[in-house]
Amino acid sequence: CKKSFLELTPQGEFLESNYYANPAQALTALVAAYDPLVTETGGLDGTYTDPLGPLNSASDDCFAGGGGSSDVPDWQAINNYTMTPAVGPQAGFWAINFQGVNRADVLLEKLPNVPGLSEDVLKRYTAEAHFLRAHYYFDLVRLFENVPLILNTLQISEVYQQPQAKPEEVYAQVEADLTAAIPDLPVTVAASENGRVTQGAAKALLGKVYLYEKKWALAASTLEEVNGTPGGTSTYGYKLLNNFGDIFSPTNKFNSESIFEIVHTGMQNYTWSNWNQFKSNVYVQMVGPRSFTGPIYYAGGYGFNPITPNLVAAMKGDPRYPYTIANIDSLTKATGTSYDESYQGTGYYIEKYAPKVKNIVTTGLTDLNWPNDYIEIRLADTYLMEAEALVQAGTNTGRAGDLLNAVRARVGLAAETPTLDNIYKERRLELATEGHRWFDLVRTGQAPAALAFKGFQAGKNEILPIPLTETLNGTQIKQNPGY
Amino acid sequence: STLNAQNILDKKISITLNNASLINVLNYLQKNDGVKFIYSNNAIDVNQQVSVDAKNLSLKNVLDQVLKSNGITYEVLKDRIILSKMTELKAAADVKLTKQNSITSAEAISIPITGKVIDKNGQPVIGASILEKGTTNGTTTDVNGNFKLNVEGPASVLTIAYIGYNNQEVTVGNQTDIAITLVEDVKALNEVVVVGYGTQRKATVTGAISSVKASDLQDQQVTRIDDALKGRTAGVNVVQSSGAPGSAPSIRIRGITSINNSDPLYVIDGVIVDNGGIDNINPNDVESIDVLKDASAAIYGSRASNGVIIITTKKGKQGPPKISYNGYIGFQGPVNKPELANASQYAMLRNEAVTNDGGTAIFANPESLGVGTNWQDQIFSNNALIQNHNLSINGATDKANYYTSFGYLDQDGIVMPSISNYKKFTFTTNTSYKVKKWLTIGENFTYSYTRNKNSLNTNSVFGGPLSSALNLDPLTPTVVTDINGQPNAGIYTSNANNIVRDAQGNPYGISNYVSQEITNPLAYVKTQQGNYGYATNLLGSAFIEVEPVTGFKFRSQISAKQAYYGSKSFTPIYYLNSSTSNLSNTSLYLENDKNLSWNIDNTLTYTHSFGKNNVTALIGTSAQKESGSGLGGTFLGLPVNTFNESSPNYALPNANKIANGFDNQPYTLASYFGRVTYDYDQKFLFTGIIRRDGSSKFGSNNVYGTFPSAQVGYVMSREGWFPTHSFIDYFKIRGSYGIVGNEMSLAPFQYTATIGSGRNYVFGDDGLIVGYSPNAPSNPNLRWEETRTANIGFDATLLNNLTVTFDIYKKTTKGMLQTVQLPAYAGFSAQPSANIGDMENKGVELNLGYSNRIGEFNYNIGGNISYNHNEVTYLGDQINFFKVGSVQNANYEIGRTEVGHPVGAFYGFEELGVFHSQAEIDNYKSANGTVIQPNAKPGDFKWNDTDGDGKITDADRKFLGNPLPTFTYGINFSANYRNFDIKLFGQGVWGNKIYQAYRRLDIASANYPIAALDAWTPTNTTGNYPRLTDSDPNNNFKNPSNFYLQNGAYFRIKTLQLGYTLPGAWLKKADVQRARVFLSSNNLATITGYKGYDPEISGGIDMGIYPQARTFMVGLDVTL
Repeated sequence: CKKSFLELTPQGEFLESNYYANPAQALTALVAAYDPLVTETGGLDGTYTDPLGPLNSASDDCFAGGGGSSDVPDWQAINNYTMTPAVGPQAGFWAINFQGVNRADVLLEKLPNVPGLSEDVLKRYTAEAHFLRAHYYFDLVRLFENVPLILNTLQISEVYQQPQAKPEEVYAQVEADLTAAIPDLPVTVAASENGRVTQGAAKALLGKVYLYEKKWALAASTLEEVNGTPGGTSTYGYKLLNNFGDIFSPTNKFNSESIFEIVHTGMQNYTWSNWNQFKSNVYVQMVGPRSFTGPIYYAGGYGFNPITPNLVAAMKGDPRYPYTIANIDSLTKATGTSYDESYQGTGYYIEKYAPKVKNIVTTGLTDLNWPNDYIEIRLADTYLMEAEALVQAGTNTGRAGDLLNAVRARVGLAAETPTLDNIYKERRLELATEGHRWFDLVRTGQAPAALAFKGFQAGKNEILPIPLTETLNGTQIKQNPGY
Repeated sequence: STLNAQNILDKKISITLNNASLINVLNYLQKNDGVKFIYSNNAIDVNQQVSVDAKNLSLKNVLDQVLKSNGITYEVLKDRIILSKMTELKAAADVKLTKQNSITSAEAISIPITGKVIDKNGQPVIGASILEKGTTNGTTTDVNGNFKLNVEGPASVLTIAYIGYNNQEVTVGNQTDIAITLVEDVKALNEVVVVGYGTQRKATVTGAISSVKASDLQDQQVTRIDDALKGRTAGVNVVQSSGAPGSAPSIRIRGITSINNSDPLYVIDGVIVDNGGIDNINPNDVESIDVLKDASAAIYGSRASNGVIIITTKKGKQGPPKISYNGYIGFQGPVNKPELANASQYAMLRNEAVTNDGGTAIFANPESLGVGTNWQDQIFSNNALIQNHNLSINGATDKANYYTSFGYLDQDGIVMPSISNYKKFTFTTNTSYKVKKWLTIGENFTYSYTRNKNSLNTNSVFGGPLSSALNLDPLTPTVVTDINGQPNAGIYTSNANNIVRDAQGNPYGISNYVSQEITNPLAYVKTQQGNYGYATNLLGSAFIEVEPVTGFKFRSQISAKQAYYGSKSFTPIYYLNSSTSNLSNTSLYLENDKNLSWNIDNTLTYTHSFGKNNVTALIGTSAQKESGSGLGGTFLGLPVNTFNESSPNYALPNANKIANGFDNQPYTLASYFGRVTYDYDQKFLFTGIIRRDGSSKFGSNNVYGTFPSAQVGYVMSREGWFPTHSFIDYFKIRGSYGIVGNEMSLAPFQYTATIGSGRNYVFGDDGLIVGYSPNAPSNPNLRWEETRTANIGFDATLLNNLTVTFDIYKKTTKGMLQTVQLPAYAGFSAQPSANIGDMENKGVELNLGYSNRIGEFNYNIGGNISYNHNEVTYLGDQINFFKVGSVQNANYEIGRTEVGHPVGAFYGFEELGVFHSQAEIDNYKSANGTVIQPNAKPGDFKWNDTDGDGKITDADRKFLGNPLPTFTYGINFSANYRNFDIKLFGQGVWGNKIYQAYRRLDIASANYPIAALDAWTPTNTTGNYPRLTDSDPNNNFKNPSNFYLQNGAYFRIKTLQLGYTLPGAWLKKADVQRARVFLSSNNLATITGYKGYDPEISGGIDMGIYPQARTFMVGLDVTL
């Protein structure tokens, strides 16, 4: 009889056993599955964890930069290819993506039993969960190659029993999840739902996955559905913007070129006590020049990811240069102002995500409330991916040329032959600092040569080390070769 | 004396009583006519019926009437009348008694003997009863201790008894004049010890239990009852970590038992209260404090592993109403202030630091700057007032007892008293009624109200008066009368509307050199005026006790504690410096919280003796529930700028009213317990305890925990073979072993899987949606931390007067709660808690007490010392250590909790002194000949290359000392001579270190300690303080190292008190029973090598703690 006296229910906190009881709660679970897409700060290792920082630091587009050689050591380590299992950005990548996997697994397990959920909503949420799990696993397999494949939530007793799956098994699961998601996803969403997964986004991601798997024909045919007629408006309403610079403006979110956009907000008045909660874009703050006194840019940037001379040279004369590279050095000289050069500074900074005075939020702390979105998949990218797949497959080089030249024509460049080299070059210039370069170098085998100046070791640095804690304490996880 | 005797007997008496018992007559005379009687119950049958009828007759006449006719004779001794049996009649009676057996024996009676009864000091014992064993034949001793008695013969045995002394038996033999020395009863052994749900005689106690009685506490002027435990008992370490009025000390019983929570359990009159619950008890209402230190605590099961402190409050004492007042008033001041550089020294040192870094000197002529402002002198008050008044009324009859008291305390702090003050009002009342022979009911109620101003932000480098006074430059004036003369005049003019000003309208000085949180303390205080926290506590209990059959006792008690607490604070518009200001909106914050806990306890006790076997058995149940909630609100933009004007009544836009609130997670506990105590002839002792606790905090696989303990004792001195006249009067060895738990470190619902929020995402333009997902997997195995405790000890009384208690113990804590570091691929948002981690405490305790008298000089000496060794033995397979403690801008953590070391041991680099020359740097080489610190400069620290790798890296850090003392001790001495008394009480610790982090590392221009004057410079190459440098390339200052550690040992005279009790003759006239005046001092002197505010620091890191005051008081105790 005393037992009930001891069985209490928590105040203001839901028990897992009672939750997922209505459609509103199902939506909160869906939101939680999206949440790891924007893990700006905190993460599971308590550090700054935006993915662009490490990816740009790893590539030949940027250096790590910052205030000094020990400023954000994880970025410095990947910049120098001195990662060890304990030091490097892998802890953030690993944990965030597995957290995403878990949230998607929770969703897939709970959704069928949520009372009152309409058939349509159930289908859509389920499809979104599949898309998100595929998205997280695609990042994991690209970054680590050897990861455990966890498709349902784990009991504590099962946690230590998880072996690493073969990469092809993971890819197969990613394909399966995306294939399952596509038919149930909406073609378009209401403005208030912008940023939620659409059919186009899922097809674009699937095409990209096929490309990474070198399944050229599948990649080309899937991406073609997304791209439609080169230069025109696709079935899903995608169309290249006329003005390249408009793509990245926070006043032009969800534009017609955006296929999968990672949404940020400037309206939440975040302060330093909200660490771990930021859905603003802290990366914008990170890449601003330090102690800057000139016009256009915010004065209090942190000076990360200065542009390499290598990229500056490659972009020389390209119409996209001013929208890609901020030449702070000459700007300050021209305006008689000043800034503090970053560690590894070159005088050149990222322009696409630069903290601009005009984007400063009206309320709250500027540093922590940048509203800029990150467009992870955009039409120019899927054009170039399809072009590459077509060339590799050798099937329709005509369309490959149309795709390549649509991207070039948009910025007023003359047409070129769709060779692999030309497509790779175009990808670099079109998509510079957008987080694709390092993956492109690795998957096309150019990394050892292109990244030699940073210490890249072939056969080792194509993937990241597995975080130290994951291989200890009785797990089944084996460290990646070379680490 | 003849005259006196005559006077008494001539006293005129009126009395009429028919068939009253003799005792009633004697009491009547005693009460109404002030006649005192001495008699032995064995000799005089006071229940015999007598009759008396006297009107204005002499006492002699009355006594003759009452006594003589009943075979009682009397003698007058001074002011007393001693009654004894008339020998003639006795003889006749004896004849009657013995007639049946032997006629001849009737003739053999009446060997007359005489004797004298004295105490060990040779003083006569007056009124001791002498009884011939096995008869009713007896008498009492006279004023000289002499007696006369006729006994049957040489085989007769005399039993001599006197209150406060052990009974003694003497065989007459052939003696006719017998000298008897009575031995004082060792009081301690007859004392009762509260053991939880009952009491035990100290003589037969088997656990390690320390007791502090009201008599030990009454002359100590403490404002909190837990302070009274400091230094009083071995094994109980009380550290007052702040001298702020009303602040609670941390209490550790036998070391730190858990990395999570080591607070003991507090029980007040059977009511379990949480840590803050004892704030509300008036120390004057406390009758006794008993501390269960070993497995005897198992009676409190899952909450007992940190020890149990049982507080018993005063109840009415037999007799007519007694009204007592005691109170004192006093002044408090600081004992020690750190010495810092004055203005010209500061300027010189700043120049030195800047030029060492290659810069140019800042101050052209340091000498000209004089001494400047001594901020230490600005923040302390040397005469902070303290006053405390207590009034109590108590009394009892056979049927009822009552106790009521009022207490009032008002204490100013010694640091900025206008924002440091504590007021406490307490009211308590309890009564109990013996309604029937078998039925007793009673209740206990306490109300307390505290109001606490404490806006000082102490022991923090982030501002507040103490930190500011340590870091602020001495160049800044307290108050500025000539703004234009200031180097930063612009600051004053551009912020003219918001800077803080004194009563004359002059701005308080704003530093031109030191900023951030370091502000002018005089100005800071003005921004905190009025802010306070409050608490109202209602503690009540009622009980019923039924004894249907002798030996069976059933008791049921219901208790509740209702607390209301909250705060009010106001933030005006102010500008203290460029980084500490509020320029936007005034704000008022109000908070009101409440908390309720109740428990119901039922016990059944059975006591039985058969032969020499004595058994007490207890079984019981207990149920407890705790809940609480709170509501707070911020009101922004009030149209006023002072606390006194602030009010939530002002109309404000809704957006300016921000509410917050919380519910405490509820908590319930249901328990069953039992205890058996058995002794054979008070010689072989056994106690067994078992408690089963069910807690809402435990996981579903461990809803109930069982906590057993067994204790045995052996009173060797009761053995026949034990030498009776040796120096050992009493000797008991005892041992205990048991398992106790700690569920206090377990938060509610940690065992279950909960859903957490804050997993948000943005859809559309800025449409943030709050996401929810599971936190961590459930851990149905989650349970209490478990401590196995073993104890062996002895209690002894030597040479009548010396009591010794010795204990040696080992406590092993298993399954300390930790967060499990599950692999991240599991994807959980939070990590579950589990029972991982072990710790061990080993120690030795010794308590000594000695009392004696030399003539009229009575004295007591007591002392205790305890040793404890703490060691973390396991932290799980994944973690070897936790970082503990941090200082702003230090390169590393200050301490570690690491396997093989005490909790939170200091960890850092070891400096081996400064390099006095380049040659010393060049010669400091590793084994393979490389220079270890090639970049060092003369004046930099030589770091110990602990790992011998030829470089100074973080791997060279090592353990540098223990923040916890290994030895704690206390001594007390009290004595009285005639009307004068003296009390001296001191306590100390030994074996710990203190990390002193006074100077802000990130503020290069912060003031320097006076020791910096000995810094190495090219002209002071023998200096042993590291060279001053702002860039600190050698990390002389930024590396945590033994440079910051000081010996934390101290001995402190806690109390010194002189009292004078007014002579009885004066008081009699005023109808006052007792009156005593005293002068007293707390913390009169401290012997320590520590150069800081106060060596008494909990946790061992001193960033500017609020030091304890030295107090001088005058007080008065009066009993009517």
